Amino acid sequence: MAKGITGKIIEKHSDGRREGGYVSAKIDFILLHDPTFAILLPELKESGKEIWDRDKVLLTVDHFSPPSSIERANIVREVLSFATEKRLPHLSVHQGICHQLLVEGPWLKPGMLVLGADSHTVTGGALGCLATGMGSTDILYSLITGRTWLKPPEAVRIDLIGKLPPHLMGKDVILDLLGRYGEGGFLYQAMEFYDKDEAISMDDRFAICNMVVEGGAKNGLFWPDKVTKNYLIDRDGHLDDQKNWPDGDLEYSRKIEVDLSQLRPKIALPHSPAQVVDAEEIKGETIDKVFIGSCTGGRLRDIELTARLLKGKRVAQGVTLLVTPASQRIYQKSIEKGYISAIIEAGGVILNPSCGPCGGIDKGILGREERCLSTSNRNFKGRMGDPSSKVFLSSPLTAAASALAGKIIDPREVM
Amino acid sequence: MGLPEIISGRVWKLGDHVNTDLLHPPSHFSLDEKKMKEGIAEGMVRLGSEVKKDSSDEGWVIVAGENFGCGSSRETSVRGLASFGVKGVVATSFARIFMRSLINLGIPVFECREIQECVKDGELIQISLGEGWIESSHQRRFPFSHIDLHLKKILEAGGLISYLQQEKDGI
Repeated sequence: MAKGITGKIIEKHSDGRREGGYVSAKIDFILLHDPTFAILLPELKESGKEIWDRDKVLLTVDHFSPPSSIERANIVREVLSFATEKRLPHLSVHQGICHQLLVEGPWLKPGMLVLGADSHTVTGGALGCLATGMGSTDILYSLITGRTWLKPPEAVRIDLIGKLPPHLMGKDVILDLLGRYGEGGFLYQAMEFYDKDEAISMDDRFAICNMVVEGGAKNGLFWPDKVTKNYLIDRDGHLDDQKNWPDGDLEYSRKIEVDLSQLRPKIALPHSPAQVVDAEEIKGETIDKVFIGSCTGGRLRDIELTARLLKGKRVAQGVTLLVTPASQRIYQKSIEKGYISAIIEAGGVILNPSCGPCGGIDKGILGREERCLSTSNRNFKGRMGDPSSKVFLSSPLTAAASALAGKIIDPREVM
Repeated sequence: MGLPEIISGRVWKLGDHVNTDLLHPPSHFSLDEKKMKEGIAEGMVRLGSEVKKDSSDEGWVIVAGENFGCGSSRETSVRGLASFGVKGVVATSFARIFMRSLINLGIPVFECREIQECVKDGELIQISLGEGWIESSHQRRFPFSHIDLHLKKILEAGGLISYLQQEKDGI
């Protein structure tokens, strides 16, 4: 019996080669972005080899977007010059964060095996595929061969029961799991989510899958269902045949049930995404900045709920609210629906779609002893700026509510 | 290439869940080898190491706790370790991307639970790949877990790209 949907996907992609505990598997798609692709680019050129299938690669510029130093401008220049020379068909420059662009495009479908040169590639698993991140050298190997070596992981089944109440988001679900099981709680494992009531939006699913890596998981995925179908039809205009969708008996090493109606808005304390408390337990904690964005918390639903909460109100004095839509498409839709106006009128600052301050790279990074509430995925010491700064993590709703209050609060206080 | 029979170096001791942002701060991202190496020196300061960063001519062996190298996949952290003179990495357990990257760049990894509490920062230790033990400066030996055949072959080749060149039907 296959170890979960993940085991089944690995079996179907295996080319028959085995070595020790590893199997060689064919890849359906590879995601690249500016810094991690730039690391492997000199070696790719030196090898004299070509990318095995250019149609199966998305190259984005989203970290140094646009670059803010000469060194980074030169890195982006090198990346773009290669892309132009090789005529890469899927090139996305300053259009948003790679993990959002990957799921907006027509590429990912249930049952696929997808690699990315970034640990948050796991986000794509929300569409029912095996998506996982690797370092640049692994990706170089796969770009040349179209294959990778995988150690089939144990699979954990996580049943999500009921519906999310209006004050909760996908972010609260994953923070709750990380808080209960810890930073290494799912080390090397596949986290497979079953949305029993088919009631969790795709944007919330992306947020959940995005952070499985913070629990050490190899990948996270949702059993494809009605929500998946609707997303694919909406995205592609049609639904392909479902021959690669999971079926049959599956083996799980562990089963976890989460009753969504019992959850409370969560906060991860500095400096670990797994050090989690209920927002109400630390209400009143002061903050200088609120960041709503990143590949975890900058999607349309995140911007929509932020705008609804902020509409007609003002961000507290002394607090800077930075909002970064995860892609140009989300940005444009947010403008059309009036979300951006509502955020600006409330005093929020909109940044261009990109990774922004999340990885300590771009505008909005933190100064000495600054305290930030962020909808991103990692609050490691020094990741977002000065090593003495402190980052709390929450859902976009909790972040928006706290921006209004000027301190951390439970969003139910203002809903 | 091949693996050395014995690896020796001074211990750089780390705790549990040490992430790559801490080990190699993102502000030090660069393609310049010198800057990558400086990122590790900065990480050493932030992690509060008791050893002086330029005190080792023998090279380093990291001895870490659980889930070592969690977080970002940026390979600059591992490339920085190689430039810094890290010859091998021992941990109770590894985060998967980080472990793969160490092996892909030819740095041997060893899983061993017991040694973490029994060595000090800066102490000289030896690792015997053939016999499967790590020896502290007090001549105490600790066995490490079996290294998977696939990983061993990559290490013997000197890294993943050399391994690819050896795979006869690789492409």
